[in-house]
Amino acid sequence: MEELSTKHLLGIKDLTPQDLELIFETADNFKEVINRPIRKVPSLRDITLANVFFENSTRTRLSFELAEKRLSADVINFSSSSSSVKKGETLLDTVNNILAMKVDMIVMRHSSPGAPHFLSQHIDANIINAGDGTHEHPTQALLDSYSMRERLGTDLAGKKVAIIGDILHSRVALSNIFALQKQGAEVMVCGPITLLPKYIAELGVKVELDVRKALEWCDIANVLRIQLERQQIKYFPSLREYSLYYGINKKMLDSLNKEIIVMHPGPINRGVELNSDVADSDQAIILDQVENGVAVRMAVLYLLASKR
Amino acid sequence: MELLLQGVEVCDKRSPFHGQKKNILIKDGIIEKITEESIDAERIIDCQDLILSIGWFDMRASFGDPGLEFKEDLKSGRKVAAMGGFTEVAILPNTIPVIQSKNDLSYIKALNPYSLTQLHPIAAVTINSEGKELTEMIDLHQSGAIAFSDGEKTLWNTDIVLKTLQYLQKFDGLLMNRPEDRLLTQFGTMNEGINSTLLGLKGMPRLAEEIAINRDLQLLEYAGGKIHFSNISSAHSVELIRRAKAKGLEVSCDVAAYQLIFDDSSLTSFDTNFKVNPPLREKLDIEALKQGLLDGTIDAIVSNHMPQDQESKKLEYDLAEFGMIGLQTVLPLLIQSGLELEMLIEKISLAPRKLLQLNQPEVKEGEQANLTLFAPNAEWEYNEKNNASLSSNSPLLGQRLTGKAVGVFNNHKVELLIED
Repeated sequence: MEELSTKHLLGIKDLTPQDLELIFETADNFKEVINRPIRKVPSLRDITLANVFFENSTRTRLSFELAEKRLSADVINFSSSSSSVKKGETLLDTVNNILAMKVDMIVMRHSSPGAPHFLSQHIDANIINAGDGTHEHPTQALLDSYSMRERLGTDLAGKKVAIIGDILHSRVALSNIFALQKQGAEVMVCGPITLLPKYIAELGVKVELDVRKALEWCDIANVLRIQLERQQIKYFPSLREYSLYYGINKKMLDSLNKEIIVMHPGPINRGVELNSDVADSDQAIILDQVENGVAVRMAVLYLLASKR
Repeated sequence: MELLLQGVEVCDKRSPFHGQKKNILIKDGIIEKITEESIDAERIIDCQDLILSIGWFDMRASFGDPGLEFKEDLKSGRKVAAMGGFTEVAILPNTIPVIQSKNDLSYIKALNPYSLTQLHPIAAVTINSEGKELTEMIDLHQSGAIAFSDGEKTLWNTDIVLKTLQYLQKFDGLLMNRPEDRLLTQFGTMNEGINSTLLGLKGMPRLAEEIAINRDLQLLEYAGGKIHFSNISSAHSVELIRRAKAKGLEVSCDVAAYQLIFDDSSLTSFDTNFKVNPPLREKLDIEALKQGLLDGTIDAIVSNHMPQDQESKKLEYDLAEFGMIGLQTVLPLLIQSGLELEMLIEKISLAPRKLLQLNQPEVKEGEQANLTLFAPNAEWEYNEKNNASLSSNSPLLGQRLTGKAVGVFNNHKVELLIED
């Protein structure tokens, strides 16, 4: 049987193009499963997973939990809005306590970049990164690529993807860049220059400050949420100005001489980065992304469980 | 006690014996005889492959005593220094309380008369190193403060830097500042560059260091006095200081030994032992730092020894404290740098004493022995067992290193780290 090259899913950076293909193929099967009348398979029976979330999350946590339950895993959830250090227990202690209850795999979201990497150096269980600060969000990038391929009906080689918004604070952007480049797609980032990492072009991506030019260039626009909660310093003057000059509305899309695909990892700030007339249009595949998220996460969990 | 260093190579370019192999007899802490003739002694050390220089001086180390003794106390700190070949160490004031009174100075120096390793306290420039109110620097100088610095903290207040440069002129005191514009490094945890982008970590741009250097140099030009920049790390910083020196300004600087070896690609696995401030930069910076050492722009090399307990380091990267221990591993890092040994030794012996206006020990008959004996080619494993620090925040632990200090002599005492 084909298997992943890694025991953990810490980031897209560590995956090979073959890993990506394997995940997408496996996700195809699970997408078929979750559309059956009986949407559950016994693949992860007797495996216990802990969803450990040190940052607020609704859709990612629900999506993981659902994926786990569809695979018949036993699931426990731990949520803490702040990092555990603040209440006097270290991350390692918290996770070791959970593992002592005989948990096999950990899905973790944490505000610190590298927190899952740190964990992987000290514990045995498989770790799935559900977002580590401003670093990576690998399953989001996987479901984004999967959704792009599904809508296009082809692989992504040669496709042009613009990632628009707050690139500096976005783990989705970085994971998407890695995933898209591994599939041969071209990537552009676009946003106010204060929200673009100074050295981003060295990753081999195009940089554009004008959102209209980015839309003209791309086949797919992946529009990011403005992460006000992750900005410790002021990077732009106001949401009003941001929405005026970086927000996307239907009129802009209609004025392009092609029909591009619009994506958003959610939750949307309606009227800020995306107008409702775009978010609810046929060009947007935002709810497909959510649906595919479950299938892709099932694929990742299934493939990693077989590496135990 | 009589000790004979048999056939030891002398490394001190001021000495007529520089580069020669001599038999050196040390009796009760005094260099009794330097000769080529064979002599007898109570204890004879065969010094084939060993080099003798004047005792090494580290002008920038942090211990945690008082206040954070679990990281490093004065006793363990002295031991680490000796194991690393250092006979004298200048201690940063970032203790709890901060070193800012006569009492604080006395506490650091109390055991000097009975110790091999001599500790020289650097006193704080501002009260509690907060950067707001000046300490009583004349009085602190009278009581033995060797220089003035807020240590790990940068002097961010422009007016405080100006006033300090002026105030210290009364006694030709040295201001040591670690250059950093705090607004540009806010929340930063590593060098800003392609690697910080790849790791999703907030970067600390070189610019933050360079702007601070430029500012301080302008203040120096205006106020007079002298300034020493601690721990410079960027290529352009070297150039700025080179130009200032050419202009005749009284400026000096140092670099941490580890900064000559590691770059920011070391952080790929989020190893908190590589989290230091200023951050590890890139290869081109390392090359410029080496060039700065060669042409004399960079005056001294320091350990920047900064012990951190496990609770401060075995953490998520951005939550971990800055700093790495290094007093015990300066030599192996310098050897690894590939630069000329004689120059490197000068940067950790003659240069710091010159900057701090201290008497220079000599390899000369009749002199008190303040010496370091070392084996530049010896291979050894640095591990938890031989690490003399109370902390273990070093990426070198567990590695085989080349270059080892094997003996230190000072204050009529000897510590040998070799078997007979």
